[in-house]
Amino acid sequence: MAKEYDASTEEFMGVPRKKIPWWPTIDYNKCTFCMECDKFCPHHVYEKRETEQRKLVVANPYNCVVFCRACAKACPEDALSFPDKREITKLIKEMRGV
Amino acid sequence: MAERKTVILPCNGLDKALGVVAGRAGIVACAKDPGIKLVCPVLLNSGEPKYDEMVKDADIICLNGCMTRCATKLAESRKIPVKTNLLVPDMVKKFNLKPGTDLVLQTSGVQLPEAIADDIITSIKKDRESMAQEIHSIEVEDKAEYFETKKDKFYFKVPKGAYLFNENDCWVRVFGGLAYLGISDFLQNQVGDILYVDLPAIGKEFGQFDEAGSFESVKSVQDLISPVSGKVVAVNNQLASAPELANQDPYHKGWFVKVELADFDEDKGLLLDGPAYFEFMKKKIELEAKKQH
Repeated sequence: MAKEYDASTEEFMGVPRKKIPWWPTIDYNKCTFCMECDKFCPHHVYEKRETEQRKLVVANPYNCVVFCRACAKACPEDALSFPDKREITKLIKEMRGV
Repeated sequence: MAERKTVILPCNGLDKALGVVAGRAGIVACAKDPGIKLVCPVLLNSGEPKYDEMVKDADIICLNGCMTRCATKLAESRKIPVKTNLLVPDMVKKFNLKPGTDLVLQTSGVQLPEAIADDIITSIKKDRESMAQEIHSIEVEDKAEYFETKKDKFYFKVPKGAYLFNENDCWVRVFGGLAYLGISDFLQNQVGDILYVDLPAIGKEFGQFDEAGSFESVKSVQDLISPVSGKVVAVNNQLASAPELANQDPYHKGWFVKVELADFDEDKGLLLDGPAYFEFMKKKIELEAKKQH
């Protein structure tokens, strides 16, 4: 397994990764904890919590590749959502402009 | 070779000979080229579900008998993106074949659908050939010159030519007012053998960083995240039967989508040129290698 990812040193398009709010949100009303998204994502964005009620969480949001929504396609319940790409692009442009 | 589907949606209007010609031309084109499929406008209008699959990822040609353009309007109402809109009156002039007014087609009216069908089949072939030529001229223009690097398992090359990249490892190459899109050599190396490529419908519009296709490899399913905003004007049909082209020649024969650019001046501000992408990737790889050691 990959070592702990240190997002504080990472940049995306010249902007610190930690300033870009891009990661999946799990709709727990829909999620059945089938873990397909976790199996799919190579960046360890998700983590299992076997003993908790919410058996899957977004544990490493900054590992998520900005603009990638591929895990949402793997979800059979359509329980994953992402921010609006246009909003994120706008935000990146604003931060690059500073 | 399995090619991308072409689907003809004729108006088939039965109140005019021109409409009858449109329907007939669709039938003849399908009979002449088994790669072409026909949509019955009446059945489509009634919500027939079998057409959902047929029109998905196909090049749609609307064949309208008259200026009422019923076929085009029907496609719009069913949210089917159209590649080409044809008008039978234009074809009447082009081939100088007047169908007359008799709904039971006579002489010229019988010849006209044949001529229209041949014309459609020829233009499909021409489209394919002209794109192959364009890609070849880009190849020649690039003179196959690359920056190349290798670090542990990471090997990749970046063309020195006029390619621009986003940080999602997808490229855009502007050519003659339009642009080709594809994935970088680094990305194809990362995902391994590509087994299947899913390409968007002609006419689909997307914003910068939206998905402009996806692909499945032995390791994963990923999207082509478009470096630019635009509208799909063509897709690489060859990837249907030879997805390995995206591995073997990611910058030329393995292109995915051809687009009409929407706002390139704005979009390019967020892209990297070849040398900048190469430096960016070298740093990223160093970091990855460190993490794994």
